[in-house]
Amino acid sequence: MSNADLIRSARFRQEREGDWRRLSDLVDKAEGQGLHRMSFQEARDLADLYRQATTSLSIAREISLDRGLLDYLEALTSRAYLCVYAPQQRLGGIIRRFLTTGGPQAMRASWRVILMGFLCMTAGAVAGYFFYFDNPEWFYVFMPSELSGGRGPDASTEFLRASIYGEDSGSGLGAFATYLFSHNTRIAIFVFGLGAFLCAPTILLVFYNGLILGVFYALYIDRGLGWDMFGWLSIHGVTELSAICIACAGGLKLGLAVLFPGHQTRRAALRAAGHDAVKLALIAAMMLVVAALLEGFGRQLIQDRTTRTAVGWGVGGLWLLWFALGGRKRP
Amino acid sequence: MTRPALDRLLPPEGVPLYFRIAGVGVRTAAQFTDLLITGIGALAVFLLVLALDIVSANTAIAIAAMLFFFIRIPYYAVSELIWNGQTIGKRLMKIKVVSVDGQALTTQSLVVRNLMKEAEIFLPGTLILTLNAEALLPSILALLWVMGVLAVPLFNRRRQRLGDIIAGTYVIHLPKPILLQDMSKAVRPPSAAQPSFQFLSYQLEHYGAFELQTLEGVLRSANRAKGPDAYKRHKETLAAIVAQVRRKIDYADPVRPEDQQAFLEAFYKAQRAFLEQRQLFGDKRKDKHHAIQSDQG
Repeated sequence: MSNADLIRSARFRQEREGDWRRLSDLVDKAEGQGLHRMSFQEARDLADLYRQATTSLSIAREISLDRGLLDYLEALTSRAYLCVYAPQQRLGGIIRRFLTTGGPQAMRASWRVILMGFLCMTAGAVAGYFFYFDNPEWFYVFMPSELSGGRGPDASTEFLRASIYGEDSGSGLGAFATYLFSHNTRIAIFVFGLGAFLCAPTILLVFYNGLILGVFYALYIDRGLGWDMFGWLSIHGVTELSAICIACAGGLKLGLAVLFPGHQTRRAALRAAGHDAVKLALIAAMMLVVAALLEGFGRQLIQDRTTRTAVGWGVGGLWLLWFALGGRKRP
Repeated sequence: MTRPALDRLLPPEGVPLYFRIAGVGVRTAAQFTDLLITGIGALAVFLLVLALDIVSANTAIAIAAMLFFFIRIPYYAVSELIWNGQTIGKRLMKIKVVSVDGQALTTQSLVVRNLMKEAEIFLPGTLILTLNAEALLPSILALLWVMGVLAVPLFNRRRQRLGDIIAGTYVIHLPKPILLQDMSKAVRPPSAAQPSFQFLSYQLEHYGAFELQTLEGVLRSANRAKGPDAYKRHKETLAAIVAQVRRKIDYADPVRPEDQQAFLEAFYKAQRAFLEQRQLFGDKRKDKHHAIQSDQG
C-alpha cells in the first residue's frame, strides 16, 4: 500500500514505529540486566527514545483513535518511564551516607521527641521505685514472671548476688542470639510500630517498661546490692534502654504527625515525619544489636563491677559523641 | 467492559501516564512468595550451621530465629533497591512499587515501607501464630491490630498500606507493551470480484470514537476465531454488525456474505479518517450521542 493511501495517524505510526521497537528492546535489556550494565550509547538512547515516546504519546492521544496503538504507546512509555527513573544510588554509598550524616542529623533534628521518650521511661522507673518501697508486693504486679526468673522479694540476697555475677546459662553466639530476641527487642519493635496508632500505646508501653526497671532496681537497692546491679545493668542497659527510648521517639514522631498534622494533610505530615522516624528506628536497631553483643559476650567476660560500669557508660558516651558530632558541616 | 482501577501519575516530562493499581490479593501472593524464598534461604544457612556442628541444640534454635530475622529484614529493602521496586515475588507477579510524586524511588522510601512491614504485618502475624487461649487479652489485641492493618489498604483508592502512605509509594501492575497491527492498513485493495466500498461524509456522521474502537476490537478478533463453531459465531456477529451499520448509515448497496469483513474494514478506515480529521478541528466525538451533547452544550 502506498504512503499516500494511508490516513494521517497511520502515517504517524509508520514513521515512528522503528524507534518504538528499539526503545522496547532497550527497556527489556534495562529491566533484565539493570542500567548499570548498559553501555553509554544504549543508556543515552534509552533516555532519548523515552522522551520521544512521551511526545509521541501525547500527540497520539490527540490525533489517533487507534485503540491498539494508544494502548501500546501507553504501556511502552510507562515501562520506559519506570526504567529511566530508577534509583541511582549504590548500596555502599547509601550505608556510608546514613552512618556519616543522615543518622546523626536525624537524631539532632528530633531531640525533643527523644527527650520525651527518655522522660517516659524515667517517669516509669521512678514510679516503679516508689511503688516497690511502698509495698514490695507491687513487684509481682508489674514484673512478668518469665522475665524475673525467680528473682523477687522472697529470693535470698545470696541468690540475687549470684544472678548478677554468676555464669548465665548460655554464652557467646547462642547467648547473643537469645538476648537479641529478648523482651527488649520486642518492646522496641512494638514501640515503634505502635507509634503510628496515635502515640498512646507507645507511651504506655515505654512507661510500663520503666516501671519494670524501677521495681527491679528497687529490689536490689533494698538488699544493698544497688551498685552491683548498676554495673550489671550498665554494661548493656545504657545502650539497650536508650535504643528503646529512641525507637519510642520514632514511634512518637509518627503518632504526633497523625495527631497534629499542622497545616499539611495527615498523609503529607506522616510522610514528612517518616523521613526521620525511620532513621531513628534504624539507629535503635543498630544499638540493640550492639547491646545484645555486650550482653552475650561482654557480661560473661567482665565480672568486675567497675569495669562493667565503665564499659557500659563508655559505649554510651561513644553513641552520644556520634549523635552530637556526626554529619556536622565544617565551618 | 469494565476497565480496572487506573491511577494517574505525572512524570517530570509532564505527559500523564495511567497505571493499573495492584490489588490486595496479588500483593499477598507476592508476599507469600517472598516469605517462602527468605524462609528457604534461612533454612539453608541454618542447616549449614548444624552441619558444622559448632553449637548445642538449644542455641541452634535461637540462631535459627536470628537468621530468619537477619535475612528477612534487609531482603525486601535491598531487593527493591536493586530491582527498582521489585522483590522476587513481585517480579513473578509482575507488579512494582512506584512513587506517588512521579519521581524516582528513593532509598528512604523503600526502607520506610519495608521497615513498617515489620511492624505492620510480620509482628502481629507471628503473634497470631503463637496465640493461645490462656493469654486472651494479647490475642484479642493482636487480632484487632491485624484487622486494622489489613483494613487500611481497603479504604484508600491506591490500596496503600500504612508503610506505603508513610513512604509515599504504591504498587502497580507492570503494563505489557504489545504492538498490534494497524487495522486501517488491513484494507484489501479492490479487485474485480470485490468492489471497493465508498462512503460519503454524511454516512460517517453517525458514530463516535467509542463505536469505532469497539469495531476495531471486533476486527482484531477476526483472526482469533478458531474451530468451526467459533468461525460460525464470528460470521453471525459480522452479519449482524453489517446489517446494523448499513441500516444506520443508509448504505444502499447490498454486501455479499463473503465481503462482510472487507466492508467493515473499509468502513473502519473511512470512519477513522473522518473522526480523526474532525478531532483535529477540535470536534471530539466520544460516541454516537455526540450530536445530542453538542446541542445541549
